[in-house]
Amino acid sequence: MADVASARLPGVWQQIRLVAGLRWRVLANSLRKKHNQWDLIGMIFAGVFATVAIFGVSVGFGFGAYTIVSGGHETWIALLFWGVFLFWQVFPVFTAGFGAGFEFRTLLRFPLSLRAFYVIGLAYGLADFAAVASICWLTSMNIGAAIASPGILPDMLLISFLFLVMNITLERLIGSWIERVLARRRSREIFFALFILSAVSAQFLNPILQRYGRSAQPWVKQLLPYLSVFPPSLAGQAIAGAVQNHFANTLIGVAGISAYALLFSVLLWMRFATQYRGEELSESAAPTRAVVRPVSRTASEPDALRLLTPQVAAVLRKEFRYLTRNSFAFFLLIMPPVFVLLFTTQFAGRHPTATRHPVSTEFFFPGMMAYLLLILMAPAYNSFAYDGKGILTFFTAPVSFRQVFLGKNLLQAGMLAFELTLSMIAFSYLVGLPSLPVLLATIAAIVFNIAGQLTIANWSSLTFPRKLNFGQMRGQRQSGMAVLVSFGAQILLGGISAPILFMSRWTGDKWLPAEVFAFLAAAAIAGYISSLDPLAGLAEKKKETLIDALSR
Amino acid sequence: MTDAAIVTQKLTRRFGNLTAVDSVDLTVTAGQFFGFLGPNGAGKSTTIKMLTGLLAPSSGRAELLGLDFAAHPVEVKRQIGVVPEGMGLFERLTGAEYLQFVGRMYGLDRPTTQRRSDELLDFMQLSDRPKTLIADYSHGMQKKLALAAAVIHGPRILFLDEPFEGVDALAAGALKALLGRMTERGVTIFLTSHVLEIVERLCSHVAIIHKGRLVAQGSLEELRAGIAGEAGSKTTLEQIFLSIVGQDGAQRPQLEELSWLM
Repeated sequence: MADVASARLPGVWQQIRLVAGLRWRVLANSLRKKHNQWDLIGMIFAGVFATVAIFGVSVGFGFGAYTIVSGGHETWIALLFWGVFLFWQVFPVFTAGFGAGFEFRTLLRFPLSLRAFYVIGLAYGLADFAAVASICWLTSMNIGAAIASPGILPDMLLISFLFLVMNITLERLIGSWIERVLARRRSREIFFALFILSAVSAQFLNPILQRYGRSAQPWVKQLLPYLSVFPPSLAGQAIAGAVQNHFANTLIGVAGISAYALLFSVLLWMRFATQYRGEELSESAAPTRAVVRPVSRTASEPDALRLLTPQVAAVLRKEFRYLTRNSFAFFLLIMPPVFVLLFTTQFAGRHPTATRHPVSTEFFFPGMMAYLLLILMAPAYNSFAYDGKGILTFFTAPVSFRQVFLGKNLLQAGMLAFELTLSMIAFSYLVGLPSLPVLLATIAAIVFNIAGQLTIANWSSLTFPRKLNFGQMRGQRQSGMAVLVSFGAQILLGGISAPILFMSRWTGDKWLPAEVFAFLAAAAIAGYISSLDPLAGLAEKKKETLIDALSR
Repeated sequence: MTDAAIVTQKLTRRFGNLTAVDSVDLTVTAGQFFGFLGPNGAGKSTTIKMLTGLLAPSSGRAELLGLDFAAHPVEVKRQIGVVPEGMGLFERLTGAEYLQFVGRMYGLDRPTTQRRSDELLDFMQLSDRPKTLIADYSHGMQKKLALAAAVIHGPRILFLDEPFEGVDALAAGALKALLGRMTERGVTIFLTSHVLEIVERLCSHVAIIHKGRLVAQGSLEELRAGIAGEAGSKTTLEQIFLSIVGQDGAQRPQLEELSWLM
């Protein structure tokens, strides 16, 4: 056992090289799977696109710096520093939500000193896309400014270096905290929900700016002076001071950025030291003293789902619980009515709209309902996605998959009915409902569409299953085939609707679509019911594929 | 009328060119505590999956409680309980919600499901966190919950794939007592475990599978008697296991190769 004592620990640089090698092997090994080989193609495309984007923006930053310095507007260079700063700090926060492929703190199991851990952490931060892009842009700014005024180069290099150190330490500090927050399932889901909420909210920026943009300008101008104490403004001030030979300004700028870099470095050191000492990030419940068991509440209560068989009711309850605990699915449900609201206020109606000629309700109402179906039916094509290993329970329990599908589809149909009703109420308030023939035809078409799509979606769920995880964005993709089937089904059902609407217009019979769609809806419901037993048989044949795909 | 709970005939499962389970003929009598042993990759879990409807055999048949599984899957599943490899829990439910879900899937009425669920959660010491999702349970807690779900409907055969893995000693003791009581009342328990001491202590009968083939089957006494030149009744299950499975020396790791560690 003399090896431990005699072994010499690798130096920091060698450890950095080992970590880089480890990340490379993780990536290379992940490409062994056939499925991931498509990811490689995607990564190559993304890499080419990113390189072009970085290069293009670099030219912009270089030209911008040249123009600013040569034009004598040195203080404006702060704007370029602000651009770099915001991208460097904000971009990694948004990509962090997609799940880190490699958690930096796992390195702590190895015999690293705190100093080595800190240095590796900084090096790790430099390997980030945002850091690489930002360094390229800073370099371009240096080149552009130096071409315009060669004497500025030493100051520019010094300030850029300090700016770089400040950004790396701040990014790692934020990244380290995000790593800690995202280590817990609940906070990961809240983060995910906030991400989706902000994405949805962004859709309202344009209408808000159109309405309140001008009146908000004075408020924004009042806030601008307060930005001067932040690092990008300080960097701009230092450069401007150097060009204008205002030594005091340069000194204040350099001292300010240095102070920020020092502060962030100390905070980062303290954060890494906490990680180094050991930090509890376990998601398991902490042991607690047993408490008195709550008295059964529901035993004597009547079952609200007593019209259903116990098995169908059990699946329906389970699906509802899963829906309310899945932030992504939940927001997917909230989004469509919000978009209906948004589109309606912008393109149609009796209230003020963004367009001069609002779209007729007769066309807009069926269009909006079709849009809702398009979005809301999508999860049905991979309905076992979030069941995970729970799929084993469906196969070990004495039930036919007929009952499982009934439970799942009832919830989907119920949610669709709720969402569509909600949207119709909002629509009728904002715009007013269409004529009765169009309203009834749309409702019948919706029923036809739902029953038809559920039949195809159940088959797709069994044939192209793909596991999805709660509160996670990275690698959360539906099966490509399931997406194709979903598009195909929607095109097919939409294609059936087109000649009906054409016939109505040709014959001038306003009630024809309502009659034909009612007939089609009845046929689709009959088709759906008769498909359940064959699908249960298919589930039995496909169980190995299902279990394998969902239990990974 | 036979008292065999589980009978397999030429049960075989192939994955491409690999035969994971090869013509296994197994008989387990009703009320037996049956241990199913084998080294890693021998075919234990594949056999259990075929006996519980999670995997279709390539050939051969399995009969449980006198019913052909392939012909009467729902009727057979109604009478068996399973703790499968991976446990198969719906992790976004709480423990109580999951037990109620399983109880209803087995056709129990709501009051019965509720009562049994409460009692099982109490017994498994899981009732103090009624709002905790299964995803937040420790591995041992998940295992106990999977066991509770496997027995909530009062099965006549219980299949347990590594049931004590990750379960603390206190709970394991209670579970062993529970399983013992169940076999006394005629329930058949089919158990796989890598911990041979547990199998030796609990099981009256044992089968050993190796490279997909059943290489030994019988009571512990019969297996002991079958080993020539050994110390008779003092032979442990580990010795029996090693003498049967570890016969080809090439399979056993050679300690000499790790001399730097000693």
